[in-house]
Amino acid sequence: MSQAAAVELVDIWKRFPGVVANAGANLRVERGTVHAVLGENGAGKSTLMNVLSGVYRPDEGEVRLDGTPQRFHTPADALAAGIGMVHQEFRLVPSFTVAENVVLGSAERILRRQDVEARVDEVARRFGLATEPDRPVWQLSMGERQRVEILKALWRDARILILDEPTAVLTPNEADELGEVLRHMADDGRSVIFISHKLHEVTGFCDVATVLRGGETVAASLPVAETDAATLANLMVGSTSLAGERPPYRTPGEVRLAVSGLCALDDRGLPALHDVDLEVRSGEIVGIAGVAGNGQRELAQVAAGLRGSTAGSVHLDGKDVTSAPPRRRFGLGLCYIPEDRIGVGLAPRLSVVENAVLRTYKGHRRGPFLVGSRLTAYCRDLVERFGVRTGALGDPIAGLSGGNLQRLLVGRELSSRPDVVVAAQPTRGLDVQGVKAIQDLLVAERDAGTAVLLISEDLDELLTLADRLLVMHEGRIVAAFDPMDSERSVIGEAMAGHLADEGAA
Amino acid sequence: MIGLLVATVSFGALLYLAALGELISEKAGVLNLGVEGMMAMGAVSAFMAAHQTGNPWIGLVVGILAGALTGLLHGWFTVVLGAEQVVSGLSLTILGLGFAAYMGKNVVGRPPGAVLAPVDWGPLTDIPWAGPVLFGQAPFVYLAVLVGIATWFVLSRTRAGLALRAAGESASTADAAGHSVVGLRLCAVGIGGGLAGASGAYLTLTLTPQWAEGITAGRGWIAVALVIFGAWRPGRAAVGALLFGGLLALKTRLQTFGVDFSPILLSMLPYVSTIAVLIAISVRARNRPSPAPAALGTAYRREER
Amino acid sequence: MKRPVLVRRHRPLRGGQPLAFAVGLILALAVGAVLLMAADHEPLRVYQRMFEKSLGDQNAWSLTLNRAVPLGLAGLAVAVAGSMGLWNIGAEGQILAGAIGAAWVARIGGTWPGPMLLTGMLVGAVIGGGLLALVPAMARARIGVNEIITTLMLNEIALRLLQWLIHGPWKDPDSYNFPLTPLLPDQAHLPTLFGRAHFGVIIAGAVILVFGIAASRTAWGYELRVAGSSADTARYAGISLKRKILTVLLLSGGVAGLAGGVELSGTADRLTEGISNGFGYAGIIVAALALMRPSGVAAVALLFGAVQVGGQSIQIIGVPASVSTILQAFILFGAIGAGVFVRYSLRLVPTGVDASGEGGTAA
Repeated sequence: MSQAAAVELVDIWKRFPGVVANAGANLRVERGTVHAVLGENGAGKSTLMNVLSGVYRPDEGEVRLDGTPQRFHTPADALAAGIGMVHQEFRLVPSFTVAENVVLGSAERILRRQDVEARVDEVARRFGLATEPDRPVWQLSMGERQRVEILKALWRDARILILDEPTAVLTPNEADELGEVLRHMADDGRSVIFISHKLHEVTGFCDVATVLRGGETVAASLPVAETDAATLANLMVGSTSLAGERPPYRTPGEVRLAVSGLCALDDRGLPALHDVDLEVRSGEIVGIAGVAGNGQRELAQVAAGLRGSTAGSVHLDGKDVTSAPPRRRFGLGLCYIPEDRIGVGLAPRLSVVENAVLRTYKGHRRGPFLVGSRLTAYCRDLVERFGVRTGALGDPIAGLSGGNLQRLLVGRELSSRPDVVVAAQPTRGLDVQGVKAIQDLLVAERDAGTAVLLISEDLDELLTLADRLLVMHEGRIVAAFDPMDSERSVIGEAMAGHLADEGAA
Repeated sequence: MIGLLVATVSFGALLYLAALGELISEKAGVLNLGVEGMMAMGAVSAFMAAHQTGNPWIGLVVGILAGALTGLLHGWFTVVLGAEQVVSGLSLTILGLGFAAYMGKNVVGRPPGAVLAPVDWGPLTDIPWAGPVLFGQAPFVYLAVLVGIATWFVLSRTRAGLALRAAGESASTADAAGHSVVGLRLCAVGIGGGLAGASGAYLTLTLTPQWAEGITAGRGWIAVALVIFGAWRPGRAAVGALLFGGLLALKTRLQTFGVDFSPILLSMLPYVSTIAVLIAISVRARNRPSPAPAALGTAYRREER
Repeated sequence: MKRPVLVRRHRPLRGGQPLAFAVGLILALAVGAVLLMAADHEPLRVYQRMFEKSLGDQNAWSLTLNRAVPLGLAGLAVAVAGSMGLWNIGAEGQILAGAIGAAWVARIGGTWPGPMLLTGMLVGAVIGGGLLALVPAMARARIGVNEIITTLMLNEIALRLLQWLIHGPWKDPDSYNFPLTPLLPDQAHLPTLFGRAHFGVIIAGAVILVFGIAASRTAWGYELRVAGSSADTARYAGISLKRKILTVLLLSGGVAGLAGGVELSGTADRLTEGISNGFGYAGIIVAALALMRPSGVAAVALLFGAVQVGGQSIQIIGVPASVSTILQAFILFGAIGAGVFVRYSLRLVPTGVDASGEGGTAA
């Protein structure tokens, strides 16, 4: 009685101009399991899930649910077939209540508010999703919002739930709770597809794992209980070793960036940084590890002058710049690679030239006028030196790929010969070559004597590049490690807020 | 004094009808600054239809349709083609005023073919104070009340209202939930135009009742102001409509009360208070979202999500 | 099954905007022709007359130029704000405030020599327009109040202020109770260039030229573009947004105010309720058609000036002037419609495929 699987994706091909995103990918998800789909950025996970959820149609291959071939034309078709997807960016209306958000796609003609709230609450309780149905979503934490997203899918009775990197926005506690909820759903006979590139979560929550690499399935439905993180990691990255070659360590020089007793608020006005102390010396890369949303973003912004602090100080080369605006800090040799490339680091509608001169345009003036030929020459030089592939320099940057945008941004910042670099998530979302190029630039900068503060959610990247590693948790620096001589698991514990005695700073 | 209250209610209803239309449109995410133009189109069409047929109700229906069609022009350009809402709306005002003037050039100053007279409620009208104020009014007043209640109910208690508000708060979310953002917004703009048209018809079928160029006299702008003054809520907008309606009513009566204050300066008050309300909202909005629909004024295209 | 989808072009079609503009003009003329025929007028004859009376000879040109002055300045005011992503919908009110400012200087300086009085009036106009923009500018810069509605409301407030002045304190005692102020003293008139064209043409041209250069060639203009593209990027680059918002909205108000002063001194000769005649609102259309670029503003203002002057000239043959209003609005709507295809291209895609897929968003 070989029962058909809940989901079967058979030999899926999906090509985009210049990219083959899925090259014969397979996935078989049994009913009642939590199934991890693993792979590095660019391995084709998201494309495959978009095929399953009806956003894309595959060029070749077949989607089967319970053994029946499906042809989804729109996401609504997939939804109707019982597939719910929780995207990384939540699709919630902030001013609506939890209940309103949950029933938005499937409400009855007339809404009886209390009745709806009671029923939403009932479904939530059944799956262990604690919520308050009458609260507006804008008051909720990211973890609570994610629960609302899951609730939306359950409300529509999704039998297959896809979660795209769900723990990126969660605190460790919330991540554990999520694990329990997913278990609940699997026990209820539903199937959960859990997309991730974080190994400890996979081994923690999931029953089975499928690994993708280069758009292909390299390991299908491995039982997690019979494998280990190292095996999965090797499958994900292929033959190359996990931690690349570490550049030689050198003795750092004097203190360039010093932060002491720093406190700051987040966008919602809640405390995000508590009494943060750190120093970055000439010729070293200090890595900041942590689960997203533990104050790393705010730390980078305060250091760069884009966010005010409520206490403490920031010193650059011994000068107090705590209240100095961004431009003055730049003048003192601090450059900043923000995590939002477009919209902060680069102005979306402006041209390549206009973006290239963002930091230096005042140096290309004659009287009040900007000298166009000098701007273009400067930009051309930058583009050539950092290998940015562009169309005409006068065209908007919208046409550039992610990797080229980041090369332009990093190149612009580094060409000012900075003393201090603050880099927030500099390689996130880039393809393999892009990641390598940016990492090489940072290392070269370090070797030239620059002090580099590298904030990343990718622990492997930090272990490869950083000379010292600090871990942030709930707005504090809770541990310091020597990346040469530390166990991933110990660092992971610190990121989760479980302090091992010897690691505490 | 009773005259003042009667006029307050009737002017209030005039403003309220148009404001409700703008409110519905804005709730769906479409700012329509063409209220003045839609009102003018409704006013002239209603008057001409009533003039031709002698039936005021046909006039009303034609006025509503004219307003809705004018509004849908804005909808086509902003919702379907994604044009700037501010520019398109203001052009709609210019177009509506110009078109209405052109259409109505032969009926300027003509006597009305038919008017919508106050409803006869029999003995109820004879109740002191409340009688004339509540029961001596034209059908438009009761229409405004009904539409106000219906707007509140639909927006807050029905699936359609939920979807419409979602389209105005976060269009991509509404889209992902399976609602047609374009359809919802077009519908809202069309209804908004129809209500502005009804408001215009009220002018030429009951209040004035004549057609003249410029008969709308900036009342469309007060309707836009009312939506903000009422913080995008039908109930609060009703209170605002009575306040602003009272100001309009008082304007013509100041001298009879022997008050030595320029009625012109008095008529600045709705605009001044709306600016004050906007500033208050912004000051308060530090830790909570503004009552304005979050996606107001932005076009939505699926591939840009 | 296929469905049409608009796909954003990587860069706007080159030369697309003039083309879109031409499409708008043709559409407007076509709609106008239908309307004219419906009222038993001969469209060709009407259009011919409009053309002759607006661009046919020197005198016609002078009228068109005069009309283009307030349209161009109002359009520039909107474009200056628009270049950093702000909407100054208040040009209409600022024109009125500028006219009031200029009239006030003329009242107190009625005996001053011409050059001094004229300079004073124009300065008063700029200050008047700027003052009206002050509240929206401060509210936007300091507490983030959306400037669209505040500037819009101030239009009505300025109109009431003007009405109050001409019905009350500033009313001409010899006006037989008409709401208007006395005529300006003789030396308060802008000099004439040719025909009816007055010196305001030079002023407007110079102001537009200066702003055009400032916007496209200077560091200041560059900072405006950065701020208009992304507020966070501006902050990142150390550009003070608050100060930019404040100066830009005040400048915008001042430019619109100048239009009011020039109109008063160059053509109107006294304050009346109709001194602005909707120039502020038309200016928004002008700026939108010019894509917020000063160079385009001058060209579009000339065309709109011609349409307005032509529109007045056909009243004599029994065609309502509202035809010109309708033409102006339809030029814009036609251009908006055509403009979509400057930025987007239309493709037929099979249903169910997301058009964004073409970017190659693997994983």
